[in-house]
Amino acid sequence: MRAVARSEDPAAPAPGALETMLVRVARGDQEAFESLYTVVAGPVLGLVRRVLRDPAQSEEVAQEVLVEVWRTAARFDPRQGGAMAWVMTMAHRRAVDRVRSAQASADREHRAALRDRTPEFDEVAEQVERRLEREQVRRCMGSLTELQRESVVLAYYRGRTYRETADLLGVALGTVKTRLRDGLIRLRDCLGVAA
Amino acid sequence: MTAADLHTLTGAYALDALDGAEAGAFERHMAECGVCAQEVRELRETAARLALGVALVPPPAMRERVMAAVAGVRQLPPLVPEADVVPLRGRRRGRGRLSYLAAAACLVIAVGAGGWAVNAQREAERDRARLESVRQETAMLVDLMSAPDTTMRTAPVSGGGEATVVTSRGLNRAAFLYHDLPELPDSQVYQLWYDEDGSMKSAGLVDAPEGGSGAMLLAGGPRGTDGVGVTVEPAGGSAEPSGAPVMLVPFKG
Ligand SMILES: [Zn+2]
Repeated sequence: MRAVARSEDPAAPAPGALETMLVRVARGDQEAFESLYTVVAGPVLGLVRRVLRDPAQSEEVAQEVLVEVWRTAARFDPRQGGAMAWVMTMAHRRAVDRVRSAQASADREHRAALRDRTPEFDEVAEQVERRLEREQVRRCMGSLTELQRESVVLAYYRGRTYRETADLLGVALGTVKTRLRDGLIRLRDCLGVAA
Repeated sequence: MTAADLHTLTGAYALDALDGAEAGAFERHMAECGVCAQEVRELRETAARLALGVALVPPPAMRERVMAAVAGVRQLPPLVPEADVVPLRGRRRGRGRLSYLAAAACLVIAVGAGGWAVNAQREAERDRARLESVRQETAMLVDLMSAPDTTMRTAPVSGGGEATVVTSRGLNRAAFLYHDLPELPDSQVYQLWYDEDGSMKSAGLVDAPEGGSGAMLLAGGPRGTDGVGVTVEPAGGSAEPSGAPVMLVPFKG
């Protein structure tokens, strides 16, 4: 039995080129970092911009994220997932932190503004979808229910908490929690993601 | 909050949609719940795929600023002893061994450079179309570079420069990453070929930007082929190679 399981031992994932590169970055290899930058900078900037919207601020945060990749590369653990997911998780979290600290300072007006903004939302979601140019991602987003899709778009591309998402969509908190989970699971299965 | 409630938070957590206190509670739960930990890993991989769909072309100055910044930033030491890394087969040793990815930068930069000059509607639309195709190409390149069975083979190009063929049998996809290819007259073009049992099947033309460095995906998959060759052909390409290859990369071994 052990022989059968060997090639799929989760403790010893076969690294892709990105993972190998990140390990070299962790050893202080600036050339490897520049190559990694080439592959991840576009997605990092795109995701941060999607969440923050302001171009100058987005560029600043994207830069911080990329420097953070350099600084913490040694903490990358391939058993916890791929290099791309590690970088994008960092990028999303940093963007969300920024957007929430800005929100916290204007919280009261914000609650009202969130509600006012609801009509605009459909248009936003549609734009995001239209730009999901990869056929597979588009097809898989299309396989979600409307509520699943709206929840995922608001949380991921807009950096909303699930409370805000529930507020915006006018549904119960528990419903949004569940839609975020089953929506992502459906995307995972549709995209054939394995971790 | 009960454990049953916590199990349902994987999606919200993976999307950073919990507030601070809830995220902390969920992390404590996840430390002891292997099922949730695994699910979060998978859902984060899923979210990363969504990020590839919205990639932008970063301004060249951003690269310079980041490179300048990291030169002065001290790196954290590893938390655990370093694991052995499986070396990539066919990787060239020494200086320039990472040129395959540096080359991919040119693909992106070439688009960025021309992107802002003109304001006309038609230009804007064409730029948008190019950005879309760069996104697609970047996403496929990332897929390929992240595949567990990626193999890289680097070889010199006769006449100058070098190139790396990146393949994944699993994805049945290959990329050609080139560096410092000699510039050809307008009447000529580099053409890629798959060697299928000795017969050559075109895998696309290399639209090399100025400087001769870039990256492209090959037309068709590497499965069932024995290698990749590069020839110089008349502009527009040929149905069959008309001369000796300037580069040959066999897949054996
Ligand atoms: Zn659990």
